[in-house]
Formats: sequence, structure tokens, C-alpha cells
Amino acid sequence: MNLSPQTKHPFITKLYEYQELIPDFEGLIDHLYRPMPVYFRINTIKTGVDEAKNFLRQEGVEFQDTIIPELIKVVHHNHKRPLLSYHLGYIYPQALSSCMPVLALDPRPGEMVLDMCAAPGGKATYIAQRMEDTGFVVANDRKRGRITSLLANVKRLGITNTLVTQARGEHLDLPYKFDKVLVDAPCSGQGKYRIDPVSGTLKHVVKGKTDLSAIQKALIKRAFDTLKPGGILVYSTCTLSVEENEEVVDFLLNRRRAKLLALELPIDFSPGITQFKGKKYNEQLELTGRFYPHRIDSVGFFVAKIAKDGTEAPAS
Amino acid sequence: MPRLLKTEQRHLLLEFFHERFGMDQGHFDPFDIFAFSRQAFLFRRQDKALDWPASSFVRCGLPFVRNVAGYLKPTTVFVQRFGNLATKNVLDMEMEQVGQLCSNGEIILSALPASLDTGYVIIKMQQHYLGIGLLLEGNRLLCRFPKAMREAISRLTPG
Repeated sequence: MNLSPQTKHPFITKLYEYQELIPDFEGLIDHLYRPMPVYFRINTIKTGVDEAKNFLRQEGVEFQDTIIPELIKVVHHNHKRPLLSYHLGYIYPQALSSCMPVLALDPRPGEMVLDMCAAPGGKATYIAQRMEDTGFVVANDRKRGRITSLLANVKRLGITNTLVTQARGEHLDLPYKFDKVLVDAPCSGQGKYRIDPVSGTLKHVVKGKTDLSAIQKALIKRAFDTLKPGGILVYSTCTLSVEENEEVVDFLLNRRRAKLLALELPIDFSPGITQFKGKKYNEQLELTGRFYPHRIDSVGFFVAKIAKDGTEAPAS
Repeated sequence: MPRLLKTEQRHLLLEFFHERFGMDQGHFDPFDIFAFSRQAFLFRRQDKALDWPASSFVRCGLPFVRNVAGYLKPTTVFVQRFGNLATKNVLDMEMEQVGQLCSNGEIILSALPASLDTGYVIIKMQQHYLGIGLLLEGNRLLCRFPKAMREAISRLTPG
């Protein structure tokens, strides 16, 4: 597909660097012109899956089931403002791929889990849901403005097991260690990019010139150090950038006794990259997962599951 | 930092829920209750929350009940989550009636079940626990739902 002049954004140029790495690259470019589908996660802390589906039908929402029982893909709804189901805390709009880091983390009832970059709370509240609102979740974020949305979502979904904190993740002062930690790191967000088919402009572009890779490396190192021996860390982003994904995990593998674990997830993904632009990364990085938007019809994601001290997951 | 309610304060608070809504205190055994400002929070019990550094602590648990002009008012989110534990002062309403309540802000109820007393009542529609209403003398029911939720209900029940 030929991209219009307006789309000559650095991202598009950068994307072509991955041409040889991304399966069906032309399919990815085509997919950028399509609207991102909407998914709702049903909050089983407050309702049952069937009960919520029935109520959504009453509200005029047409949807399809997905491979995840509590996640539905919205086909059609007329409402421009939030549904009553939303106000009742029955649903959380969440992309299919955004569920993957939580499924990889596999939080269990009674565990202690830290979500280091939690706002606006999609993954933290899903963690609480998978834990059946037991155990202890710490949902942290750095920015006050983002904390407001995190608090609102934890409250709306009726969650009782979560402590919300505000601190820079890389400097988080912790009185104890965790069974599991999620770092859904701030990133360039390339997996969310769309091209407006009318104007040809790129949408959902993250602005700013922060050295994201440096922040991500500091976060992953701190997150790993907050784990109990045998604990599990999941590192994820919604970008396709090797510098923000494999290179960050490679950095950790070089500095800590960390071991990558194979992902067992219900949707299609490609293995992580071990060589790029003349750089070689740890062979274990093949165990990480790249979720491409055109293959899953959702936001592009990267997920790595890491065990501390080379041990397996703690007994649940 | 919020403070953990002592046994006696906790008992008084849960006694209110028992007397007003028939909620068995035992249902809340797995939770601690924290107080902050005029609000209490229900937090899944574990021994770690209070060890957290105050400098980064923002909030723990679910807003549970607040003091409004000297009266205890359960929060909407608490009712939505735990309303099914109530055995009295629950008003089961038809969708159309709830729509009128939200559009007008109040309605006069034609008939009331004997189990309802004046004061805060839990409003239920079908099997869905929506939130709180304030029942006054003369069968006058005031809506106490959040504004955005009232609007969503009004959209669902046009006319």
C-alpha cells in the first residue's frame, strides 16, 4: 500500500525498518487504516459473565465472544456516552492484547502483586479480578492526573484488595517483596497507531522526547528487585520498538539472575527478536511474545515473562 | 494516612448496616475498615497496608460509607457490590420507575412494602443493585445516584 504524503511520520519510516521481521508486513500497513475494534472486559467481581451479557443486550450492544470468556468484542452499539453497564462497574473497555500481560502474570487468589505503572487501571483491576478480589494488589503510578483515573476505576469496579500509591516506579520504596510484579512500561505506543483514512494523518501518536528506553530499563531493574525469590515479573509495552522491548529485557538478563519463561497465551503471537541492526540479544528472548495488530485485530503488544533466580513460578 | 477502626468503632458501624439493611456482620469478617476524613473504606484484610510509606500512600480499598450531615450514607459502589447481602430496606423497582426517578430526581411511590422505613434505602432493578435513594415521609423517594449514572439510566428508559 502507498502511504499518502501526510503519513510520512517518522513512525512510518521506522516501521519499514521492521519489514523483514514482521510477518505479513503489508497486512500490518493495511491494518493501520482500519478502526481499532472495541472490547469490553466483564468485571466478574461485580457480576456474572452471562448476567452482564444479558444486560448489555438490553442496552442495545451487539457483541461477539472471544477466546477469553470474560472478554467480548463489540460489534455495534449506538451509545456515544458510557453505558449503564459501565456505571454499574460491569464492564471495563480493554483491548484483547491488553489482557495478555495479566494472563501471562497469572495472578492467583491470595497472592501479593505489584502493578508498577498501573494507571488508568485496566491491568491492575484485571489482576484483582483474576485474584477474585483476595490477596493484596499495589497499584502504583507516577502522575497525579493518572492516579485520579486509576482511583475512579478501582472504585467503579468495586475492588477491595487494592492499595493505590503514587511514586516513580524506578524509585519505589517498598517495605516488602511481592510474589508477582507487572511493569506495563510507558512507551512510544506504536501498537496503538492508526492512520486516518480520510486525512491520511497518523493518530494516537505519543508526544514527547523522553528517553523511554532508559526509563524502561530503570523500571524493569527495580521491578525485578521487588520480587520475592522465585517470583514472577511480566514486562510489557504496547509498542513494536526493539529498543523498548527486547533491548530492555536483554538489559535485565545481563544484570540480574533472571530467566525468561515460555508464554502460554490464547492468541497468536510471534517470538521475540534476537538480532536487529547488527545487535545480538540473548537467545532466551525468543521466549518473549510480539502481538502484531494485523494478526490479532487489536493493539500491538510485547510481553516478556521473567522468573527470579532461575526458579519456576511460586507454588500457588 | 487512613486509620484502622478499632473493634468497638467497627462494631458500631457494622451494627448500623445490620439494623438498617439486615446485613450480617459476619460477611465483613474478611475485611478491615479504615477511616479517612468523613469516609470509611472496606479493605481486604492483610497485614501489609499500614506498613506502606505515607509519602506515596494514596488510598486503600473500597469507599464504604460516609457521614452526611450526621447520618451514615452507604456509597453507591458499596451498594452495587454488596447490596445483595441486604435483607431489608431494599426497594425493587421497575425500569420505567427508575427512569422517572432519574429524570425527575424524585418520585412519589404509590405503595410501599412494609419492610421499608424512611431513611436511606437500597434501590434494585431486576437483579441489579443500582445505588441509594432517600425515602421521606409521604412515600417521597429522592434519587441519590451519581449524575452520570442518572443520565445513563435516563437514556436507557426514554420518556
